Amino acid sequence: MLSVIVFLLLGGCIWLGYEVYRLQRENLVLRAGTGESEDALKKMQASQAQVIHTTKLASLGQMVAGVAHEINTPLGFVKSNVEVVGDLLDDYRKLVQQYDAAVQYCLQPVDLIFGADKASLDKLVKHVEEARRKLFEARTKVEKSPLLTDAKELLDDAGEGLSQLSTLVQNLKGFSRVDRDGMDLMDLNEGVESALMIVQHQLRDRVKVVKHLQPLPKIRCMASQMNQVFLNLITNAAQAIDGNGTLTIDSRVDANNAEVSFSDTGCGIPDDVLPKIFDPFFTTKPVGEGTGLGLSIVHKIVKSHGGSIKVRTTPKKGTTFTVILPLNGQTASTAVPAAVAA
Amino acid sequence: MIDDESRILRALKALLREHTTFQTTNPLEAVTLAKQHDVDVVICDQRMPEKTGIEVLRDIKDAHPRAMRVLLTGYSDLKAVLGSVNDSEVYRFLSKPWNNTELRALVEEAGQISREAPVIERDALPPVEHDRARSQVGVLVIEDDVTVQQRLREILQPYYKVNFANSAERALMLMEQHETGVVISETEAGRSDLTALLKALKIHHPHIATVVITERANAATAIELINEGQVYRMLIKPVRMGTCRLSVDSAIGRYWQLKQNPLAARRFMAAPATAEGQNSPLRLPAQILNRIRSLPGRLIGAAARASAH
Repeated sequence: MLSVIVFLLLGGCIWLGYEVYRLQRENLVLRAGTGESEDALKKMQASQAQVIHTTKLASLGQMVAGVAHEINTPLGFVKSNVEVVGDLLDDYRKLVQQYDAAVQYCLQPVDLIFGADKASLDKLVKHVEEARRKLFEARTKVEKSPLLTDAKELLDDAGEGLSQLSTLVQNLKGFSRVDRDGMDLMDLNEGVESALMIVQHQLRDRVKVVKHLQPLPKIRCMASQMNQVFLNLITNAAQAIDGNGTLTIDSRVDANNAEVSFSDTGCGIPDDVLPKIFDPFFTTKPVGEGTGLGLSIVHKIVKSHGGSIKVRTTPKKGTTFTVILPLNGQTASTAVPAAVAA
Repeated sequence: MIDDESRILRALKALLREHTTFQTTNPLEAVTLAKQHDVDVVICDQRMPEKTGIEVLRDIKDAHPRAMRVLLTGYSDLKAVLGSVNDSEVYRFLSKPWNNTELRALVEEAGQISREAPVIERDALPPVEHDRARSQVGVLVIEDDVTVQQRLREILQPYYKVNFANSAERALMLMEQHETGVVISETEAGRSDLTALLKALKIHHPHIATVVITERANAATAIELINEGQVYRMLIKPVRMGTCRLSVDSAIGRYWQLKQNPLAARRFMAAPATAEGQNSPLRLPAQILNRIRSLPGRLIGAAARASAH
């Protein structure tokens, strides 16, 4: 009996030992497994960061291209005008010199009067007649010369060009908000304007922009992020329009919210795509053209500001995205890390 | 002058005040304006809401071919550059902000050419003449990639008198031996740049039509090839049979007509090279430059050569 118990106990011990060994091994395998999925996760995070970085570079390139075009046009005429005005002033100086010469000629008779005889008096009369003619001619030339008027006009244009350039720089500064970080009071209409300026070169040829911007109270928000939202929505609208079309931007305010809506006359969003548009990495564009991050970032930023986005779409007619933000910003303090273009 | 920014037009008008100028901010009016006043030179912006500059200049090329065409653009994207070569055949491609002295000189020069040099209305030849041209005029391909060379051989061999070279050296040898009217070339072979050769060739023999085929299209190089190389066509790899044959056909037509009407070659003169640029023809070894300069007249139309100087 005892031996049976001992035997059973022994058997139990061996079984337990084996079980412990087996569990340990499984544990090892599992740990290895976790390690693997951790690695995979890290890799995915790295590649996501890579994509975001690439997109950032692409949108930077797009921005530089747009801004270069916007700058080069005013720069073109300002630079030219300033030089041409210089030439015009040189020409004007020549006219004045001619006038001066005529005046000098008129003064000469004074010398002739001294020691005058009959012949030289005749000469004198002729000289005076000639002097009057010359003086009249030179004066008319100076008076009728368009040089100063032209120069004035060119300088006015140059001044206008310079203020275009400084608005541009202001806008760029406003867009990036490099000088300010964090929450700030912002006029959403200004954000729309500066985003429009940056994508201007994409729209100009084919997309007409209609703005109905009502005065809005300033809203507490992350301005650079809101600018990114507008930029992404405008870019998306432009891309949805195949060929020529119209982008209508409305802003309005009620008791609680400020709203900005972007309506395009583009291709619209099919029903099966609509639920997925805010998913990260979802895109209908060919590989390499879209990252699928644009709208997901828009969504994330608006959410973090306590707002919401409304989408209304009719296939082949167009889409309206409306950004709704609360006036008294009960905003989440967390900032969205990466802001990239669509 | 056509630009949607009226201030640019006023600036140009003031700059060119010694000439009679006509200007419009509406590109749709451009063709009528050019024809109505029988203008010598057209300066056109690229990006405008109603119509691009390339389209405007292309239409003016068809309606009023006598006018020399200049594109003046604020930002040069590759599409604009290629279009200005292939569609509107511009004389010069300029960027804003421009240089006043250069622009004035350019307008002066282009105006003179426009008034004095005869016009080639169309490059395409009547069928019989085209066949004769094809059987006489040599086409030279400069390309070191064997696969592309093979592909071009398949496309071109059945129709044209083609020779193939894989280096500048070899190309020169072939040109010294055969009448060459059309040069089809990569922008580089091996590690050496071919654009300097193409530019030098155009400076000394402006009636040869060059078709550039390139893989990595770079807007800056392309603009240089327009202004200093007056390339006839610019194609992006992979080469498509239809486009390639069409380009070579009209290039042969262009060469053939210039050979008979050498004075017209002035319309396709490259801008004088400066030694500054990295790909400047003046940086070519003197020996190569001499060989290009002294390519035998009998092989490239002596009269045309004389008119180039």
